[in-house]
Parts: sequence; C-alpha cells; structure tokens
Amino acid sequence: MSLLKPFSKLPGLNAANILLVENEEQLQQRLADALVEETAVTVNVRLAKTLPLPLKNEKSRPRIDLVVFIINLTSELSLQSAEASLKYLDPGYFLGKVCLLVTNARNASVPPARLDTVRKLAASLHCPLLCAEDQTPDGVTNAAERLLTILKVAAGLVPMTTALYLSNLTRCTVPSDIDQQGFD
Amino acid sequence: MERHSSVAETPVNSVMVQRRSGSKSFRQSYRSCVGAASHLGYTPGLTTRRLTTSRRAPRSRTVTESVNPEQLSLLVKKEWQLSYVTPLHHFRHTQLRSYSRQLLAFIVAEKQQGLAVALEGAESSLKVVFSVVEGMATTDDDADTVLIQIHSKSVFASQDDPRRLVWSGWLTCINGSPDYVRSLPKDFVCLPLLCSSGAQWLTSLVKSWLERAFDCCIGSLDINSVNLQWLAALWTNCHPESNIGQLKLMWTLPVDPPLEIAFTVHPQDAWELWSSMRGQLQEEEQENEGVGEGAGDKDSVDIDEVTRFIDGLKNHFYRHFRLDLSAGTLSQVSTALGTAKHSGRIKISSSSYMNATLMLLTECALLKMPV
Repeated sequence: MSLLKPFSKLPGLNAANILLVENEEQLQQRLADALVEETAVTVNVRLAKTLPLPLKNEKSRPRIDLVVFIINLTSELSLQSAEASLKYLDPGYFLGKVCLLVTNARNASVPPARLDTVRKLAASLHCPLLCAEDQTPDGVTNAAERLLTILKVAAGLVPMTTALYLSNLTRCTVPSDIDQQGFD
Repeated sequence: MERHSSVAETPVNSVMVQRRSGSKSFRQSYRSCVGAASHLGYTPGLTTRRLTTSRRAPRSRTVTESVNPEQLSLLVKKEWQLSYVTPLHHFRHTQLRSYSRQLLAFIVAEKQQGLAVALEGAESSLKVVFSVVEGMATTDDDADTVLIQIHSKSVFASQDDPRRLVWSGWLTCINGSPDYVRSLPKDFVCLPLLCSSGAQWLTSLVKSWLERAFDCCIGSLDINSVNLQWLAALWTNCHPESNIGQLKLMWTLPVDPPLEIAFTVHPQDAWELWSSMRGQLQEEEQENEGVGEGAGDKDSVDIDEVTRFIDGLKNHFYRHFRLDLSAGTLSQVSTALGTAKHSGRIKISSSSYMNATLMLLTECALLKMPV
C-alpha cells in the first residue's frame, strides 16, 4: 500500500509544505491562494482530491509537513471520502501533522449527528478540528491564518515547539458521559 | 442557567479557577487544566446523546377509535407547514373562547393598519374557532391538541351559507420527552409542534399573536435528512399491514444546474430489502451475543437498520446509474401514508399510522427549540 510517509525525505530551508485534501475541490483553491501570501516562510501548497497520491509524482514531491482534510458537512460523501483517505497515511502523521477542517458546521440542514461523527473521529486520531466559514473572503483568510500557525510548528520553524506538543494542546476532545453528569 | 452561560462565554477564566495548587507536578496540573477547559468549553455536549437511536415500530394506532372522525378528517390529507413552539405560559384549555375573541380582535386590528388583504368584504367576515382535539395524546404528560380554524364568508352571503375555511393550524405534543415536560414550571404548557396551512399573512399574524399572548418563541422547523430516513424506514415497516403504495425518495444534487432525482421503489421490493436488513442485523446480534435476544426486538427499530436500508437503496442506484447519492441531500420522502419534505412540510395521507409520524416530529420540534 502506498502510504504517505512524513520523515522519509529531507526538509527544505525555511520552507513548509502543506497538502489539502478535499473531495469537492472547491475550498482548497481559495485556501491555497490565501496561504501562499505568507512572506516570512516559503509555503508550498499541494492539492489533492483523495489519497493515495499518484505514484508518478513520488520522486519530485517534497516532504509534506501538514495534511489537512477538508470536510463539507452538507455532503455525506465528503465525510466518507475523507475517512477512506485517512487509511493511506503513515501513522507518523498522526503525531501532530494531520488536521481536520470542517465547513458549513452551522448550516441548519446538516444533521447534528454528522458533526458529532467528525468530532469523534478527530478525538480518536488526536488531531485538531477547525471549523471554517468558506463563503466570504474573510472566512477563507482566517482559516488560512490558523492553518499557517499549525503549519509553521509542523515544519519545525517555531523554536521550542514540536508538532506533537502542539497537538496535545489543540486536539479535539469529546466529553465522556461521566464528565457530563458532573456538569449539572 | 446563568452558570451555564458564563461557563460558555469565559472558558479562559474557568481554567484559572480549576488550576490545582503546586502540590502536584507541573505537567499533571497543566494536563488537568487543558482537559477541564476543553470539556467545559463545549455545552451541552454531544447532541447524539439526546437523539433516540431506536424507536418503537408504529402500529395501526387506535387513533381512529379515540378521535372524532370529523376532526381527524380536518388533519389528514392536507399539507402542513411545521414550526416549533417553546412552552406556552398561562395557556388554559378552558379559556379557548376568549382566545378566539382575542385572536379575532388582533387580526382585525392588524388589518386596519393597512396590511395587504386578500379577503374580500368587511372585517366581520372572519370567524376564529379554537377547539380541542381529544384523544390524540398518548401519555398522561401530553397536553391536549388544540385546533385553530379561521373561517371567512363574503359580505353578500346570508347567514346560512357555509363558511369557507381560510386558515387552520394545530398545536400538538405527542409523546414528548417526559423528563422535559415534567421539568417545566407549573404555568407552562408544552405544545412544541405547530402545523399551519393557509395564507401566509394569516400564519404570521397567528404566530405573532401566540408569541405575544403566551410569551413563547415560534420558529420554522426543517426536517433534516436523518429524520426523513427515519420516516422512510418507519413507513416501509408498515407495509405488510397496510400497503404503502410506493416509496418515493427525492434527492437534490449540488451540481450546476441543480439536479433533482426522484427514486421510486416498488413497495414489495422496499419491504423485502427492509426485512432482509433487519433479519441480517438480528442474526449478527445473535452471533455476537450467543443468546437469542434478537427475536424479541421486532418492536423497535434501530438507527443502524435505517442507515443500512438507505445505504442499500443508494448502492442499488449507484450500480445502475453510477451516481453516488451521498453527495446530495435527501429532500423528500413520500408513500401512501404521507409525504415529508426537507423544507418542513408534511402531509399525512392516512390516519392509521399518524401517531408514529407525529411522535417523530414532536421530538424534532423539542430538539430544535432553543432550550
């Protein structure tokens, strides 16, 4: 199986590589345009619809520092495709180099069970769950800024902080029943 | 309730409060702070905990026996627009006559303000009737259903001419969550589901009168795709006892221009698929547990069975047309027992399984209500 491996290549100098995986291929282009505007670091954005990535690019592909799965909650297919793609990542990515980005979380037509499924998935993978608003340019810029923060840490460009340390602070948690009873 | 809102708004402060003294090691106390903050920040927790995962299969209810057939005929075969209603303050089932007078006066006053009127004739052509539909409540906690009708007649007609029904609506609560209903203070009556049909301007007038008179909030209720799937499964489950005609599902795909797919399934095929899904799940349960407990579960329907049923239909469609319906949203479900649309419109065509449908809709309304 062609797994995407996090540490098999050498990193670039003052560069960070991010991979955006989205089944609908709508938000990733706008997010990519917002991400490359960063000037302090050279950000390379790679776009994909699903994993596994094509083998012919294997040699020329740089080391991917952060993999972001964009899930549109209004479509069930989006969630299924993201879950299927997760299997093609090497386990080394789940130490802080994976992020889930969710759009349309506030949409009334979305069944609430779907967001709960995504939260449970993010909690089981110990990765952060970001909610983004993709209809306005401001929303896209905000999402890009948040991704850049995580990307810089994952690429090792922030001193004294590693991806694993950051993921411990930002990971999505799901309250268990025992905690919930004590709440009242 | 204030405590809840302050926790939701200022999670940072609560972290400070929760931080333990320096007796424990730094790392342990930090981790406990992070844990506390992350779970106090989310209120009220996962919604799936509040959603029912299994329901009782509907039976040809004794609704027809306990409810006056004339009143029942007013409720079926008409398309209703659904709304949720928060509990009504000081609503008395004994004061319905005075409510009719108040509502009529309100409508007349609003009309005189210069709103666009579609009715011909003077104001006295309207008549409002509040009545109670007895026998619909299933449990002791449910309040009786209240039916509101607005009739009109033209100015030139005589007294004997029949009045035309211009608007009708009914407030109901069928098997509402007993914990919630019992936890309300004494003055409140819980009737969370409002079904209305008629002119739009009358609907908005009635809603604003209800909001003012009983200090409640009324908002539109959508039926999301999971509940539409529940309805499809529950109606299909009724097939052996009363023929459902056909099972028709409508999907909307987000392409440009938007594509609408109407998927009609022959009732016998739908029933075979449904019963094979249920049989499969019960066999698996028996294998896993090793005890024959599955046989007694014929009464209840699980969310797993519903998901599998709909997945089966989607797979069949994919095999024939290479279109994955998961990419779209389920917008309408219709059988001979009723039609339900995503926009919040429901039509109950047959009175036999009305209760199960209304139970599901009451639950939707209770969940959608701002708590």
